[in-house]
Amino acid sequence: MTDAPVRRAAPSDSPAAPSSGAAGRGTPSLSEVAAAYPDPPARRRPAGPRLRRLGKHVALVVFGFVMLYPLLWMLASSFKPTALIFREPGLIPTEWDFSNYTEGWNALLDPFGHYLLNSAIVVLGSVLGNLVSCSMAAYAFARLKFRGRNLWFAVMLMSIMLPIHVIIVPQYILFSSLSWINTFLPLIVPKLLATDAFFIFLMVQFFRGIPKELDEAARLDGCGHGRIFLRIMLPLSLPALATTAIFTFIWTWNDFFSQLIFLTKPDMYTVPIALRTFVDATSNSSWGPLFAMSIVSLIPVFLVFLFGQKYLVKGIATTGIK
Amino acid sequence: MAVIHEVARTRRAATEHRKGDGRAAALFLAPWFVGLVLITAFPLLASLYLSFTDYSLLRAPGWVGIENYTAMFSDPRFFQALKVTFTYVIVSVPLQLVAALGLALVLDKGLKGLAFYRSIYYLPSLLGASVAIAILWRQVFGADGLINQVLAFFGIEGQGWVSHPDYALGTLIVLNVWTFGAPMVIFLAGLRQVPTMYYEAAAIDGAGRLRQFRNITVPLLTPIIFFNLVLQLIGAFQTFTQAYIVSGGTGGPVDSTLFYTLYLYEKGFGSFEMGYASAMAWFLLLIIAGMTAVNFVASKYWVFYDD
Amino acid sequence: MRVTIHRRTRRGVALVALMASGALALSACSGDSGAMPNDDGGGDGDVEIRYAWWGSDDRHQTTQEIIDLFEEKNPGITVTPDFTDWDGYWDKLATATAAGDTPDVITQEERYLSEYASQDIVADLGELGVDTSEIPAETLATGTIDDTLYGVATGVNAYAMVADPQIFADAGVEMPDDTTWTWEDYVDVAGKLSKGAGDGVWGTQDYGFNEAGLAVLARQKGETLYTPDGELGLSKETVAEFFQVSLDLMANEGQPDASRSVEYQNAGPEGSLLGTNAGAMGVWWSNQLGALSDASGRELELLRLPGESQFERTGMYFKPAMYYSISATTEHPEESAKFVDFLLNDPEVAALQLTDRGLPSNTTVRESILPELTAADQKVAEFMEGLESDVVDNPPVPPQGSSEMQDIMIRINTEVLFGNLTPDEAADAFLKGVGAAIGG
Repeated sequence: MTDAPVRRAAPSDSPAAPSSGAAGRGTPSLSEVAAAYPDPPARRRPAGPRLRRLGKHVALVVFGFVMLYPLLWMLASSFKPTALIFREPGLIPTEWDFSNYTEGWNALLDPFGHYLLNSAIVVLGSVLGNLVSCSMAAYAFARLKFRGRNLWFAVMLMSIMLPIHVIIVPQYILFSSLSWINTFLPLIVPKLLATDAFFIFLMVQFFRGIPKELDEAARLDGCGHGRIFLRIMLPLSLPALATTAIFTFIWTWNDFFSQLIFLTKPDMYTVPIALRTFVDATSNSSWGPLFAMSIVSLIPVFLVFLFGQKYLVKGIATTGIK
Repeated sequence: MAVIHEVARTRRAATEHRKGDGRAAALFLAPWFVGLVLITAFPLLASLYLSFTDYSLLRAPGWVGIENYTAMFSDPRFFQALKVTFTYVIVSVPLQLVAALGLALVLDKGLKGLAFYRSIYYLPSLLGASVAIAILWRQVFGADGLINQVLAFFGIEGQGWVSHPDYALGTLIVLNVWTFGAPMVIFLAGLRQVPTMYYEAAAIDGAGRLRQFRNITVPLLTPIIFFNLVLQLIGAFQTFTQAYIVSGGTGGPVDSTLFYTLYLYEKGFGSFEMGYASAMAWFLLLIIAGMTAVNFVASKYWVFYDD
Repeated sequence: MRVTIHRRTRRGVALVALMASGALALSACSGDSGAMPNDDGGGDGDVEIRYAWWGSDDRHQTTQEIIDLFEEKNPGITVTPDFTDWDGYWDKLATATAAGDTPDVITQEERYLSEYASQDIVADLGELGVDTSEIPAETLATGTIDDTLYGVATGVNAYAMVADPQIFADAGVEMPDDTTWTWEDYVDVAGKLSKGAGDGVWGTQDYGFNEAGLAVLARQKGETLYTPDGELGLSKETVAEFFQVSLDLMANEGQPDASRSVEYQNAGPEGSLLGTNAGAMGVWWSNQLGALSDASGRELELLRLPGESQFERTGMYFKPAMYYSISATTEHPEESAKFVDFLLNDPEVAALQLTDRGLPSNTTVRESILPELTAADQKVAEFMEGLESDVVDNPPVPPQGSSEMQDIMIRINTEVLFGNLTPDEAADAFLKGVGAAIGG
């Protein structure tokens, strides 16, 4: 795009061209691009620093315990009868009670699985929506030249600077006039329309980190923007896409306020609303079942993170460009 | 790479076909633009309009001009909310970013079981806004909570960390740093995006790990650091959930955790002064937008892009 | 592209401006129905009404059973539940109301009733023909504003002192006679309990976070929180006296330090001093005795607040636990009224609900469930019955803006506990704060 010499962040000389074929055909094929980012070399592990590694592990475990204490306490409490949770707040229950799980699962009008399913629908729709729409918008902002780009970018950022509490009422009126209240549409459609500026900005930053020579070259090779986007940008941004997917999943899974407002019938309720109905400041609260179901609802997000983070960790080279 | 570049330049000079990408941009931005017009714009502009009215949620809005804005500046709790929020933003954003970057570097590579640690360290950030959290905090930070039990072991008498006006805000800052998971993950993803060939080249040049960090990792990570900074700042100004949970929605004890958004929520939904709340929201938007603009201008001096 | 964007934007702005000024105004006052458009019953006479309430899982389940019962007895009417917890409930109701989507039948509460009534969002139940013949006039008065019945009390509660006899026994302190004890006695007894019961057990939990305690003290002195015309009816001296009690209790260690008091205040019945066997007394609404007893695992007792024979008159009163109200814009006023009628007067409803929405306001129904009650609830019923003859009157419906009083109370009481304000200064700040809230 720019005719000025490409600015390099790395101080050392630019590494040499990856393969001789590039010069011959004028542009590198994508497999050659991939070759430019080889696998990280396997670190050799000499026996000497073994002690240091052990020390690291110990530190990580201890720190991990501090991080996890509240969660462990919640886990422990989920096995205590409600009356004992506050009277005997220790980490090891004196009396194991598994009934919180069965009780909590059946405490509301539908089995808790129903709410998990509803949440799953909302979450998957949102993840899909954000991945597609935000990456598209991000490509435009990161790579395309058009009039008013900075202005539109500012407008986009502005849209996340207002607290939800003042826009929820107009939003409700809008969705109500579309007859969308008590459906999942107000929760999913906005994501399909890239209203989550956070992720657009995130991907813009990642796209801008991808060397421009790659798409310049592809362009000259006759690739349109669609192909560059699909075949170069997306595969090279797998960590960013994984981040988007994971965060959308977690944040939607935990999002309380908009789900509370837009879903009115109990059979449409999602996990955060269901969890809130265990506790009421003005009457009895079922803390035991609440903790039990909180643990249950943590499992899917934890698993998603556990699997998802693999993709965060995969370097560009291993993303399998064909 | 240099060769590619050379070739590319020759080609471009020859074809001379580049003008703008208007049409492509329209296509790529279409979903976003539809969303902007249909979903984002109306609530945004409606709230701007409402900020000049006496809207109460239950009653149709009546125009009051800038009355809400002038009223803000004679409201002592508004200033308290600003003070609390600025203190929080200034202290907690840098702390959290440093923690997140530090942990991301430690958990990046070179040790077995890192995937496990990463997940463990992310767990607190998964907890979200469940009501169970309030109880958890009391368990840890209460007058008879875990921290004070540990302190008592060393003969120190602790405090009610969330229930004492002098410490509650500090405790919330600690809590925020504790949920460094999100920026950490973004840093991790950013670290993965740094092409390994740079390190190899640097290693051949004989650069040590510190120099590699300073000369390769940091510069190439600056777009991500910048992203985290901007977004954490925007997020911190709008902090709501933690404070709501810890103080039972009151911003207490004694308004010591009266975050801006919490006060705004209290005004809008508690006192049915949605007009005032909207005015507060737009004032906040001005602050955040100003901060973000400063950030973008400053970024020209320290953030490296490849384009 | 450029051109289209510009043209579209201009049109968009115009549209938005129109919607902003028009839609809000329209929806806020005009009558869109409570039922979702796509849920409207078909042409076969099937009617759907939406019933909204707050609570926790037990209440949701019993209410669903009640709905099932109603639908069985009234074919052709479907009742859609809409429930959540207390905080979420009010946000949701306000938002839905703003958009003209008020549920047909709603549960209301003292602090919000005026707000909704003043905008005629809730209907006159008298006009709709809800049968209230078995509900005492004093109880009906608690939902009447300007001679209009905006809400019928589901049941009544009293603000009472809950005591743990076991801690009294352990500490060697005698249970006070609740018809004669004074506020000084209360401070004194709490101090003795703290001393006698040993480490980590306190005499009482701070009472200053809830305005109901202040209401009782004020009434004992012939004052009132709010007058019938919605003004403040308190003297500065009374408010200062109220806060002073907390300070006296901290001075003689009858109650925990300020930090702990704040923590216990946020912990609900389950985590309270009484609930965790860490305190002998605490003020609660009478319907919370069950939750407290369950949490503590002990047989707790109800006492009247101190000072009932200390001043001019008694201060105890019956508070409507909540109200049933009907949306003024409902498309199905008849069916909604039928449903409210059923909730209030059907003995089978009461048999399911027991005291979950307060001791039933319908006295015949109340009688019918007495034998079914748990031990704790029977205590509540007895306590309320004993109170009947000594309650002079019930306070009027609090005015608009009174929903803020609790927050003001919590804030100022915390300042007092931490020593930032003297009781005198606190009284000034309190009166000023509440005055502004209900005045503006």
